[in-house]
Amino acid sequence: MKMVSIASGTDLTALYRKLVGNYPKFFKMDTLSKLGFLLAEMLVADDSDRFTEREDRAVLIFSRRGCLANDLNYAKSMEDFPSPSLFVYTLPNTVAGEIAIRNKYQGETGAFLLEGYDRPQIDEIVHQVFQDRITRDAIVAWIDCPSETEWTAQAWIVSK
Amino acid sequence: MNKRLVITGAGVVSAIGCGKAASLNALRSCRSGIGPVTYLKGGPEGLPAGEVHLSNEEMAALAGIQVAEASAWPRTSLMSVLALQEALEQALISGREASPSAKNNADAPGNASLPGQLSLQNIPVIGGTTVGGMDLTEKIYPKVSPLHGCGTSTDLAVEFLGGCKGATTVSTACSSATNAIIYGANLLRSGKCECVVCGGSESLSAYHFHGFNSLMILDREPCRPFDASRAGLNLGEGAAYLVLETEESALRRGVKPIAVLSGWGNACDAFHQTASSPEGEGAFLAMQKALGMAGLEPSAVDYVNAHGTGTPNNDASESAAIRRIFGDAVPPVSSTKPFTGHTTSASGSIKAVFCLLAMQHGFVPRQLNWSTPDPACVVPQVEPLQKELRHIVCNAFGFGGNDSSIILSAYDA
Amino acid sequence: MDSKQIIMEQLITEVKLKLIEALNLDGMMPEDIDNNAPLFGDDGLGLDSIDVLELIVLLEKNYGIRIDNPAKGRQVFQSVAVMADYIANNRTK
Repeated sequence: MKMVSIASGTDLTALYRKLVGNYPKFFKMDTLSKLGFLLAEMLVADDSDRFTEREDRAVLIFSRRGCLANDLNYAKSMEDFPSPSLFVYTLPNTVAGEIAIRNKYQGETGAFLLEGYDRPQIDEIVHQVFQDRITRDAIVAWIDCPSETEWTAQAWIVSK
Repeated sequence: MNKRLVITGAGVVSAIGCGKAASLNALRSCRSGIGPVTYLKGGPEGLPAGEVHLSNEEMAALAGIQVAEASAWPRTSLMSVLALQEALEQALISGREASPSAKNNADAPGNASLPGQLSLQNIPVIGGTTVGGMDLTEKIYPKVSPLHGCGTSTDLAVEFLGGCKGATTVSTACSSATNAIIYGANLLRSGKCECVVCGGSESLSAYHFHGFNSLMILDREPCRPFDASRAGLNLGEGAAYLVLETEESALRRGVKPIAVLSGWGNACDAFHQTASSPEGEGAFLAMQKALGMAGLEPSAVDYVNAHGTGTPNNDASESAAIRRIFGDAVPPVSSTKPFTGHTTSASGSIKAVFCLLAMQHGFVPRQLNWSTPDPACVVPQVEPLQKELRHIVCNAFGFGGNDSSIILSAYDA
Repeated sequence: MDSKQIIMEQLITEVKLKLIEALNLDGMMPEDIDNNAPLFGDDGLGLDSIDVLELIVLLEKNYGIRIDNPAKGRQVFQSVAVMADYIANNRTK
């Protein structure tokens, strides 16, 4: 099983330029979404038929703090003018949406909040998602972002 | 052959009332709960909402929580407790300090005492929320309340009721509660357990009220889903939970199933972070998946309870998806959001409870506030309609293109 | 150039800088943005519906101009030139 991770404090812009470089919407994302986007990129860059619509791959995000780092930025913007572009990222599942948009994944997406990194619990939840007939594999990510400069970020693809 | 999954308990609180009886009354008499905001401070001016017409202290008193403690509780958790208590009582599940009327049924903490009664302590609970304890944080910002977290707000409600066998929180915006139901259904289907409690809760907060306002998708008037003049949504708040169990478990316990959860589907629109695709791809795929799982032809569906927020974008997108599924034979469709407002993370379970009431009493909730057809939209059910509802499709779509659909079917013994 | 043109040139540069900052147009400089190029759509800078909303905030925050609906916003934000012109005629600060 392929597992990828991004070390805490990595220059995400540099990593983006190395891995992608031609997706300007990256710069609108919050740190959580940037991390998820790049982790997915690392996992699927070599997929054949990439960018063909598919329903059989789920995208599941696990976190403790979700998008709290961005939530605080949005809260700050509320002090004078609430920012719509920050508000868009005040949801822990927007990152799954960004991965889906980029890769044309039309299958299941989900975001679960856990007390901490718990691989058995994550595996159990993934097992539950696999109960439908259509899903065949899943991008699973644990991304926890206490701030915009430090995080734990890892992801893997698991098959049914 | 997959075992049948049945609903044996349902509880709800929203702008149209606390409990199923009050909700049924409002739905039948077309009485909306949307109006000026009373309890929430700090939101944008002049925007109507579907606020629950109870203060935190009043909700605490109803729940059996010490009123002096009410100010320490997130509003999201207070509403969760009320909805959970109603659902658990109906499903004959005991929890510590259940609502005063159920106190007679509860024995020592956590002990099941009546035949067929289960203890909540042995049952997983899955909640959906996005704002969690945001209302408490807003009072002390820039500090963040220790009860701020989404998971914490579910845990708090469950703890009060005596604890459960593992609480999980799903946070996928406006499809959260439906996804909690789907997750619960998967737990039953995989044989992991025989009974789960699932749903969602969301209170109003200045935070997301300003956020939705910055997206310019709020209407200053009461919302008008599917109407040509629709101009946006009204926010709402509330909570609802379902008790889901295997048919075998319900029959063994002697608890009467209310309905069958016969199908479900979740799919991603993969189009935009907040807008829906013109052809409603995610919505179409979700409904198609649900129908496929239920083994139903579209012609078997008696009613679609739409996501129907009243935004120009959603209603056109969802209509496109409905038309793709049903072709020329679109069944009665309505959105109950003009009753409650858009209750965001709780909407999927609140609507599911309304669908159960509609099924039990054989009526289609009427579309409020509609007068002008839009060629891009379905024509919703405006006139009163008494009808046997054997299969209902219930949609909930969230930002991030997270689109979910469940099918509720009549229970025939 | 007369003083009116100079003021307009300055406003256009200012608008471009604020646009780059507000919309996270990473690495772009004012000279990379053509005054008359469409801001939206595939031919332009490829801005989307959320960007319109962010520009509406930008106008109110910096120039005291309120735009009440996104459709009006799209008209005003057709290009930097149209935007600057609108600001010059409607600014309250």
